[in-house]
Amino acid sequence: MSLPLGGEIKERGSMTANDFIFYLLAAFILLNGILAMTTKKIFRSAIFLLFTLIGVAGIYFWMHMEFIAAVQIIVYVGGIVVLIIFSIFLTQQAGMEMPKPTSRRTIFSILSVVTGFSLTYLLINQHTFPANSNEVINVSPNNIGEQMLDYEKTGFALPFEVISILLLAAMVGCIVIAMKKEEVSKKDITETIK
Amino acid sequence: MDNNFFTLMKFELLLVVIIFILLFLKLGKNKMPTVSLLHITNGLLLINLIAGFFGNTDGNLFANMFRTTELIVLEKNILNFGVFIISLQSFSYLKEHKHVTEFYILLLSTLMGMFFMISSQNIFMFYLGLELSTIPLAALSNFDLEKRRSGEAAMKYIISSAFSSGILLFGISLLYGATGSINFSEITPLLTTEPLTIFSFVLLFAGFAFKISAVPFHLWTADVYEGSPVPVTSYLSVISKGAILFVFVSVLYSVFQPLFETWYNVIYLISILTMVIGNLFAIRQNNLKRFLAFSSIAQVGFILVGISGNSPEGTASTIYFILIYIFSNLGAFGVISIVSALKGKENMDDYKGFYKTNPVLTWIFTISLFSLAGIPPTAGFFGKFFLIMAGAGQGNYILITIAALNMIISLYYYLKIVKAMFMDTNENPISTIKTDLIPLTALIICVVGIIITGFVGGCYEYIYSLITI
Repeated sequence: MSLPLGGEIKERGSMTANDFIFYLLAAFILLNGILAMTTKKIFRSAIFLLFTLIGVAGIYFWMHMEFIAAVQIIVYVGGIVVLIIFSIFLTQQAGMEMPKPTSRRTIFSILSVVTGFSLTYLLINQHTFPANSNEVINVSPNNIGEQMLDYEKTGFALPFEVISILLLAAMVGCIVIAMKKEEVSKKDITETIK
Repeated sequence: MDNNFFTLMKFELLLVVIIFILLFLKLGKNKMPTVSLLHITNGLLLINLIAGFFGNTDGNLFANMFRTTELIVLEKNILNFGVFIISLQSFSYLKEHKHVTEFYILLLSTLMGMFFMISSQNIFMFYLGLELSTIPLAALSNFDLEKRRSGEAAMKYIISSAFSSGILLFGISLLYGATGSINFSEITPLLTTEPLTIFSFVLLFAGFAFKISAVPFHLWTADVYEGSPVPVTSYLSVISKGAILFVFVSVLYSVFQPLFETWYNVIYLISILTMVIGNLFAIRQNNLKRFLAFSSIAQVGFILVGISGNSPEGTASTIYFILIYIFSNLGAFGVISIVSALKGKENMDDYKGFYKTNPVLTWIFTISLFSLAGIPPTAGFFGKFFLIMAGAGQGNYILITIAALNMIISLYYYLKIVKAMFMDTNENPISTIKTDLIPLTALIICVVGIIITGFVGGCYEYIYSLITI
C-alpha cells in the first residue's frame, strides 16, 4: 500500500528529471499556498487557491493517476473554486483590501509555522519508512468505479452513501441559514423605513 | 448481502427512514401545523428507541467497514435515549419555530454520523462519521435565526471544528505514512514508540480533545454553548460529547494500546488541567449556559481520570457515567430550556427566589445539580465513584487526590445555584411557569433515571459484563 512513485527507487543524492518535476510541482503548490494565505484581497486568495489545486492535480498526473487527476480538476478546480468565488462575490466586496493583521499575530504565526514545519520535517527525516513494495495499483476508472460500488470486497459503497447523507444534511442546513437572511433583510428594511 | 444487513445496520437505517419521512412531510403540499409535526416526530423517535432494544446480533458488514457488538448496541441505545429526551424537552422551544422538520433532519443526521463513528473499524469511516456529526451541528447552532449571537456560535463552531479536523487529518496522514494502513486492526501491531508514530498519535489526540473540549482545547466551548439555542446546547454537551468519548475509549484501549505508556502521561496531565480550569472558570460564570459549559468541561476531566485506568473498569465506568451524565445534565438543561423558551431568562440572578414560584422545577433542577456534583443519594455519586475507582487502578494517587479535591470545588458552585433558588430573595422572581406536559414528562424521566441508575445495582455490572465477554 505504498506510494506508487513515478519512477523506480534510486539512491539518495542523484537527481533525475523525474525528481526535478516533483520538486517543481511541490514548489509551485507551496508558493501558491503561501500567496493565498498572505494576499490582502480575498478574490486573489481564491485565484491562488485555484493554482494550488491545479498543482495537486499535476502531482496526481506525475503519479500516473490520470483519473484522480481529472477528478481533481473537474471537482476542485472547476467546481469548488468557482463556488468559493461565487460566494465571495455574493458576500464580500471582492476588490476591498482586508485589514492588516497586527504584528504580534504575524510574529506568532510565523513562529508556529516554522516550529511546526521543522518538527515535522525532523520527525519524517528520522523515520525509516518501509521500502516501496512496487505493488501495482490498478487506477483505471473501471476498477475505481467497481470498488466504489462494491459492498463485499472493499466495502466502499458504505462511505459513498454516508457522504451523500452528509451532503443532504449540509444542503438542508445551508438552505435554512440562507432563508434567514431574506427575513432579516426584510425586517431591516421595514425598520429603516420606520 | 443477506438479511443480516437489516438487523446489523438497524439503527442507521431507521434514522435514514425517519429523515426521509420528515423530508417528504416538508416537501409535501399540505403544510402541517407545527405541534402535530412535533408529535409525529416524537412518536417516530419513540419507535426508533424501542426498536433499538430488539433483535440485535453481532457482526461485520461492508468488508469490516462497519461492525456491531453488544457493547456498541448499548452505546447506540444510550444515545438514542438521550436524543429522545432532548426531543421531548425542546417541545416548548420548537413549537414556536418555523423550521421544525429541518431541525430534526439535521439533528438525526448528526446522530447517524455518531453511530457510524462508533461502529467504524477504520480511520476512513471514523473520519466520515465525525464530519457527519459536526457539520450539521454547526447549522443547528445557528437555529436562533434572528439572533446574532447564534450565528456567531455557528461560525465559531464550524471554524474550530474545521481546524481540529485539519489537525486530525494531519495526524491520520502521518499515521498512514508510518503504518501503511487505515484499518484499526492492522495499525495496532505496527505501532511502535518511534517519534513519528507518537507525533501522529498526539495530533490524533488533539483532534479528539477538541471535540470533547478538554483543556487546553476548550476555548470554543463556552461561546458556542452560550450562543446556540438551549436544545442544541444540551445536544452538544451530552450526546455529541458522549459519542466522541465512546469512540475515544475504544480507540485508546484497542488501537493505541501499544502506546499506553505514552498516552497515560498525556491523559494524566490533560485530565488535571481540564478538571482544575473547568472548575475555576465555572465559579465565575453568571450565565447558566456558560456555567454548564464549564461544568461539562470539568466533568470531562473526571471521565479522563476513569479512562486513565486502562482496564475494562475504565470502559465500563465511562459508559456508566455518560448514561448518568445524560440524565443529570439533561435534567438541568431541561429546566433551563423551559425557562429560556417561555421567559427568556438565562442568568443565575434571575433564578433567585425560583423556589417560591416554581417548586417542582426547582426540585428537578436541584436533584440534577446534586447528581452533577456527585452527592450520595443520586446516581452522579456512583458514576464518579466508579470513575475514580477505575483511575485508582493505576496506583497514581496524586491524580485521584486532585480529582477528589475538584469534586469539593464543584460542590461549591453547584450549591451556589441551589442557594440562589431556595434561599435568596428576589423582588421580581420568574413568575409561575405553566409547563407543557411533554417537556415535563422528559424531566420526570430524567429524575427517575438519576435515582434508578444509582440504586439499581445491576446497571454497572451489566455494562461490565458486556466488555469482558
